[in-house]
Amino acid sequence: MLRLHLRADFSLLLACLALYVASAAQVRSAQGSALTTALFALWSPVPRLAASLGDLWDNWVVGRADLEATLDEHAALRREVARLRETNQALAADLLALRQGSALLAGLPQLAARATLARVITRDVLVSHTMRLDRGRLDGVRVDAPVLGEHGVLGRVDQLADRSCRVQLLSHPSAAAAARLVDLAGEGLLMGGDRPTLTGLPPYLEVPGGTLVVTTGSEGIYPPGLLLGETGDARTEGLFTIVPVRLAARPADAAVVLVLEPESAGSR
Amino acid sequence: MRLLAILVAAVLLQLALPSVRVWAPLAACRPLLLVTVAAARTLSPVGTAWVGLGVGLLIDLLTDRPIGLGGIGGALAGAVVSLTARRFELTGPLFWIVGSVLAVAATEATSALVLLSLGGVSDHGWRGSVAMLATTGALALLVAAGERAWLAWQSPTRKRRRMLKRL
Repeated sequence: MLRLHLRADFSLLLACLALYVASAAQVRSAQGSALTTALFALWSPVPRLAASLGDLWDNWVVGRADLEATLDEHAALRREVARLRETNQALAADLLALRQGSALLAGLPQLAARATLARVITRDVLVSHTMRLDRGRLDGVRVDAPVLGEHGVLGRVDQLADRSCRVQLLSHPSAAAAARLVDLAGEGLLMGGDRPTLTGLPPYLEVPGGTLVVTTGSEGIYPPGLLLGETGDARTEGLFTIVPVRLAARPADAAVVLVLEPESAGSR
Repeated sequence: MRLLAILVAAVLLQLALPSVRVWAPLAACRPLLLVTVAAARTLSPVGTAWVGLGVGLLIDLLTDRPIGLGGIGGALAGAVVSLTARRFELTGPLFWIVGSVLAVAATEATSALVLLSLGGVSDHGWRGSVAMLATTGALALLVAAGERAWLAWQSPTRKRRRMLKRL
């Protein structure tokens, strides 16, 4: 029987080469490879479990504080108080979420009929530019569904699990949205990244700073008229005007968001 | 065994940091890279590179990136950190700070190069890299401080002093 003896350093080089090939398969496949799909399906319960552990930890801390406050009380009364406090905390959290949700819905009444409220479980606004919500496929969320925060568009859903989904924020380098400037003619493309910019505007267009940027819906993802941000100081490159945009939505502050039906689903 | 305990703690921390309850910039921290730095103390450069490869794959899994980018970067980071720590005989806080900065820089540079060669787009820009460097470096400083406090607590001098007080 043939036995292969490899030195540790050669094995390491071979492993790195194999990983390079695997990365190439994943990077070049638009929908993700079978490996990423399988790993995502296997891995999606773990962040949910981590969120549950976080809740458990919170409850434990609050429960301990409650216990110290009611040690001198009668045992039955103590149990009752602890139960009522826990219920109260859950209700208060729900109320806070509902208030934020109501504010969102009140700001966008025309979209309320086809929107789902979702809570933010985790978010990474600096590195991966994504956030994870507690609504998924079973709640009616679809891939490419627009996600709105209190101040404007946050991004779109790019990965789905049964009970959660991942949102690609507008600050992601791959994010893009068709956009126009309020009170100015023409349409452009808002490109994401650390410094989002509006490109493809008509030649020699003069753009005053602070002009609002809204969606046009041409890309088939975002409904028209949603606030994306406001312009900074524009510059001209050749024929075209490049406009830096300050995004309106603040993902770091979002606790509750609105997930809309994808435009393609709505038009069907 | 000790390395395994550090790995478990780092995985838990990596899962907890992006939580909505934690200050948002801390989500950029990569505590798992400190496992590679810790491994550089006891293992050979090739052994550290293997640990880095495994840790990098774990980071890819935990951060929804293409599986493999972090593995290659982690392997390189392990080798670089181990060789640098041996060459300059780094110890104490300097070992942790330089090790963590080298590990982040090596993984980021490798990921960028691999993505560039494949025509892919990174999921973050230079601000994300700087945030990763700063937060991971800060965590390394914290680990170094904790280690120093632990060594001071466990030192024979302190034990002798306490014993003399009792007499």
